[in-house]
Amino acid sequence: MNITGPKVIFTIPVLGGIPISETVVNSWIVMAILVIGSMLLTRNLQKVPKGAQVLVEKVVETLYSFVESTMGKDKVFFAPYIGTLFLFSFFSNMLGLFGLRAPTADINTTACWAFIEFMLVQIFSIKRKGVIGRIKGLCDPPIVTPLNLISEFSTPVSMAFRHFGNIAAGLIITTLLYGALTGLTHMVFGANFQIPILAIGLPAVLSVYFDLFTAFMQAFIISMLTMVFTSMAMD
Amino acid sequence: MTMPFLSIDWTLVVQLINTGILFLLLSKFLFKPVKAMIDSREAEVSKMYEDASAAKEQADRLQAEYAASISGAKEEANQIVKDAQKRAQMRSDEILTDAQTKASAMMTKAEEEIAREKKKAVNEIKDEISDLAVMIATKVVGKDLNTQDHEQLIQEFIDGAGDLSWKE
Repeated sequence: MNITGPKVIFTIPVLGGIPISETVVNSWIVMAILVIGSMLLTRNLQKVPKGAQVLVEKVVETLYSFVESTMGKDKVFFAPYIGTLFLFSFFSNMLGLFGLRAPTADINTTACWAFIEFMLVQIFSIKRKGVIGRIKGLCDPPIVTPLNLISEFSTPVSMAFRHFGNIAAGLIITTLLYGALTGLTHMVFGANFQIPILAIGLPAVLSVYFDLFTAFMQAFIISMLTMVFTSMAMD
Repeated sequence: MTMPFLSIDWTLVVQLINTGILFLLLSKFLFKPVKAMIDSREAEVSKMYEDASAAKEQADRLQAEYAASISGAKEEANQIVKDAQKRAQMRSDEILTDAQTKASAMMTKAEEEIAREKKKAVNEIKDEISDLAVMIATKVVGKDLNTQDHEQLIQEFIDGAGDLSWKE
């Protein structure tokens, strides 16, 4: 029972070897689930919706109206990315439920999304306001220019660590709990008792919090922050 | 072999590519088609509402038009009837007047005729009387009166007598 980083599944032998870790492979699983699921759900869209189509339309409609109300009508074109980010994060976080290592328990994944947020802020604020307008926005009261510059970088960093920390903490606590309960079983029933009987029940309850509630919260938070910071930089 | 628990490495780049791929695939298979469906349905519904309100507007306009034309027709019919009545009245008046005129003219003519006939008869009678008087006088006197000389005298007498007698 030790807490390690993600296992390396295989290595692509280019550029001195690119390791493909559990994180990446599990991301592919999530991507496959999402893409195949949406292909199946949108295979036969009808003018008069029925069954699963109602749910899918409700989700997409909610996403668009949420992006519109948060970012504004002129930035509703961000909705597909925000939806991708939310679904990717949410399903990744939930992989813990199936005993797989969540891709979001790896700082690389969350840092990747924070990096995208950083790039969105830079690209779209310059696109909207021009380079000079962007610089002016950063130096609005000139005295806080250094703070603004720091926050440009600290915001994505904090986003990455917040998401990673929450999921990784869930992973650590779940692992510790299983270890502790297995140890307790061995203490109570003797070291030869192989079935960790005391590990049944309590981890499931905690899993509802760590794998469902936190999964949703973190996916929601990173999507929300991406929307807020991007639209703030554009206005 | 495991990666460190907290390190930035190649995985970040791979995850960037993964996120990009997922974004493109979900856009293509989830967001775009569903949004297009929602939008097209919304457009259709709003078009239906628009069509309905346009049709209602047209119906209202036509109804108003019909009501106006019907009341116009009624007025016109009333006018026609009134005109016809007026014309008939005028015509009947005309006919009556004409008839009256004609009748009175005929009356006048008849009266004139009567007067002329009377005068003629009176004259004839006067002539006969004068002849008779001359004849009687001839017989009574026994001698031939000079007709030429005395006729005027007799005539005057007869005129006076005739006038008197006709005046009674």
